Amino acid sequence: MSMLGMLATTKLGEATSGGGFWMPESASTVAPEVDGVFYFINNINYFFFALCVVILVWFAIRYHSKPSEHVTFTSDAPTHNTPLELTWTAIPLLLVGVIFWLGMDGFLELNESPEDSYEVQVTAQKWSWTFQHPEYGVTEAGELTVPLGRPVRLIMTSSDVLHSLFVPAFRVKNDVVPGRYTSLWFEATIPGQYRLYCTEYCGKDHSKMLAVVNVLPEDEFQTRLGQLAREYEDISDQELPEYAMVRLYNRCASCHTLDGKSATGPSFKGLWDRTKSGSTVFTDGSSLKDHMGPGGEFEVPENYLRDSILNPQHYLVQNYPGSMPTFKGQLKERQIDAMILMLKNLDRLTDEQGNPLENPDLSGADVSTGAQQ
Amino acid sequence: MTTMHTAPLDRPTLEGDNYLTHTRGFRSWILTLDHKRIGIMYLISVLTCFLLGGIFALLVRTQLLVPDGLIMDQDQFNQAFTLHGGIMVFLVIIPGIPAALGNFVLPIMLGAKDVAFPRLNLFSYWLWIVGAIFLVVSIFAGLDTGWTFYTPYSIDQNSAMGGVIPAVTGAFLLGFASIFTGMNFIVTIHRLRPDGMTWFRMPLFLWSIYATAVIQVLATPVLGITLALLGIERAFGIGIFNPALGGDPVLFQHFFWFYSHPAVYIMILPAMGIISEVIAVHSHRHIFGYSFIAWSSIAIAIFSFLVWGHHMFTSGQSPLMNVVFSFITFSVAIPSAVKVFNWLATMYKGAISWNTTMLYGMGFIFLFLIGGLTGLYLGTLATDIFLHDTYFVVAHFHYTMMGSALIGFICGMHHWWPKMTGKMFNETAGRIGFVLFFVGYNLTFFTQFMLGSHGMPRRYATYPADAGWQTYHVISTIGSYLMAISFFVMAAYFLASCFGGRRAAANPWGGRSLEWQCSSPPPFDNFSEQPAVGDCYDFSVLRWDEATRGYVWREDVPHPGHGEEEAHV
Repeated sequence: MSMLGMLATTKLGEATSGGGFWMPESASTVAPEVDGVFYFINNINYFFFALCVVILVWFAIRYHSKPSEHVTFTSDAPTHNTPLELTWTAIPLLLVGVIFWLGMDGFLELNESPEDSYEVQVTAQKWSWTFQHPEYGVTEAGELTVPLGRPVRLIMTSSDVLHSLFVPAFRVKNDVVPGRYTSLWFEATIPGQYRLYCTEYCGKDHSKMLAVVNVLPEDEFQTRLGQLAREYEDISDQELPEYAMVRLYNRCASCHTLDGKSATGPSFKGLWDRTKSGSTVFTDGSSLKDHMGPGGEFEVPENYLRDSILNPQHYLVQNYPGSMPTFKGQLKERQIDAMILMLKNLDRLTDEQGNPLENPDLSGADVSTGAQQ
Repeated sequence: MTTMHTAPLDRPTLEGDNYLTHTRGFRSWILTLDHKRIGIMYLISVLTCFLLGGIFALLVRTQLLVPDGLIMDQDQFNQAFTLHGGIMVFLVIIPGIPAALGNFVLPIMLGAKDVAFPRLNLFSYWLWIVGAIFLVVSIFAGLDTGWTFYTPYSIDQNSAMGGVIPAVTGAFLLGFASIFTGMNFIVTIHRLRPDGMTWFRMPLFLWSIYATAVIQVLATPVLGITLALLGIERAFGIGIFNPALGGDPVLFQHFFWFYSHPAVYIMILPAMGIISEVIAVHSHRHIFGYSFIAWSSIAIAIFSFLVWGHHMFTSGQSPLMNVVFSFITFSVAIPSAVKVFNWLATMYKGAISWNTTMLYGMGFIFLFLIGGLTGLYLGTLATDIFLHDTYFVVAHFHYTMMGSALIGFICGMHHWWPKMTGKMFNETAGRIGFVLFFVGYNLTFFTQFMLGSHGMPRRYATYPADAGWQTYHVISTIGSYLMAISFFVMAAYFLASCFGGRRAAANPWGGRSLEWQCSSPPPFDNFSEQPAVGDCYDFSVLRWDEATRGYVWREDVPHPGHGEEEAHV
């Protein structure tokens, strides 16, 4: 349990507190510069807004008159004044020139990542984030662990539609596009947890496509990535179901509930019973029973679960859209085993309402997977 | 200047004979070639769509009262904001001023009997109706792509819920209605200006409609082609935008914004034209800097074609393109700023009426200032990267599209209501409505700037409870309810005026452009003879007449056509 305790997804604390009236907390090297440009424009805007509104209200009151007062109305006010008009064309022109320059300068810094950046591969899919650390052979989901004080470059792609990766505290954002790589970089300056959002509309659970950036000091970062790299090996078979619940389920959570409620996909609650009995009905009208047993496509029910994870478009459950992406190549064999065991032992892992238990009793858990039979 | 026939300002008409009563019956309306009736039909259609779009807006706002969403599931929310956006953009703001008010006012302002192509005008209207039906039908198919139809989401059968093909068909047809109307207006302004109305004697509303029409004709075909490609892609999978088939999803964004950025000027330019009229007329003071305002409309129309890339600063387009687009984007700020300064200068030494119309006019300046100035953060690259696709953008474009474009439309409705219906609305109710609107509006949308700058992304059906956003959402939603009330107040006094309103004089506000020289409501053929044209912003020739509660020509000033009006320029 000690291993799992350490691996448990960090809970977001008060990471979103702080910040000012306009800008939220900032925790990256580029944030102060972005904020500086923001406040520079702010000051110009306050001035011009106040100027124009004061003039508007002043004239409206000073020159207010009722219709009956216009019996013979003439005004000696000029109808144009070219020098004045040229002046109020030129002054904004100069100001926006300055604003453009500042913005471009800041953008170029946002755009060019330092040479020695730590690289992370990001895959976005409906509706979860996967972060791969090639240096450590580690894959994280729903949480991105990065070192403090070192530039980090994210190389991003999408496996389905457009997404956009946004970390407000770092003031960085870039779209994540299928079929090409985009990138962004940041250097975190304060350890802590920061929220990461999807900001390009991507369908049903767009607003639930969240993740956490966990900024750790260098030594803690090394330790943690080391742990994550070994996590499959260090966990006993007995711990696998809980491991899946703690570490893997967050990639399923936006579509598969634990409490029996239907979402984008069928609920995980009772899924194993439905699979074992073969009662699941597919879009083509056949039921799982028709494909199971000796000679059938799925010799044991576990194989159906495995197939659903790796080849989700193969059989679509009736009344659900086929929107699940494949997890082929994203999960290690042992992680697939863990997922299957989690589904088989879901009753031991959650309470009646489907909330994961803190310390589940897994004695007597079924730890056989289809692959092992 | 050549001389004209003298047209008395308050030409008596046959009692009861006007364009509303000239012919009767349902068929006389639906097959009418009269630009005024077509304008009224557009007005009714647009306002119906506004009600529908407004209902979706209230659903969206109500949902966001609590972090987990109050009334809808994720799919329903996505459909609600899609329909809100689609209806408000394509069916309310784009046609609002040009098609509804423009149709009514433009030929009369020119002293013409109708637009250049009355049959084409009727065809545009019915094409528009068919397009609108297609778009609204997509509600029942569950359209959930957002009004932007971004690929590959919109072409993925497993992603978008459906309704994409009816929706793009609808937008395609609406586009053609818009192109035909634009062509009609361009030809009308070129060919039917009366003797004496040179280009730089046109009312500024006509300049803005002209600039708008040019954009409509040049930009809308690109939208049509893009949406046709999208429909073909979705139906047959030919691989234009779908990366899985070798297409490029970002290409769609380029195509889409090549139309849709100019389209925001299709929305705002006519509103600016209305404000130029309203500020001058209700300040009873010659417009200040006519030629700067006219040229700024043309400048905006030209620049509007060169800035579409600023919608794509985070899309992965090259940094060089970002820099170039940011640079050009700032150039659009200048003509907009010039207009604001000119409007303020027009009020200087005026005789300003605080009537409902002028309140909306001054409200426009206030809201447009906020909308325009907040655009600076979004044109600036460093800050846009942070603010892009957050509520800051939502707030910004509502200040420009609703606070400015739609308020321009509402302001114009008040301005020309007596002309259109021949009835005066209740001023007190109007002012109450304005105050409700103004307070509600700013509560709704100013808070959204704070939401955005604190990181709340757009198009979220739910949000984390600990992000500290709920307070802003609650204030915003309360504001939206207040605004809804203000629109019902407005509907009530407008309707009441039709039945019990005081009869409007020909010229209740003191305008000098030609539409104020025919009776209210105008006769079927507008003018029995071509009216005389003078300086349409020289109000010193008018005086208030208490008996008719309208403005009449001063007895001591000769009518134009006697060659005297130059003295006042």
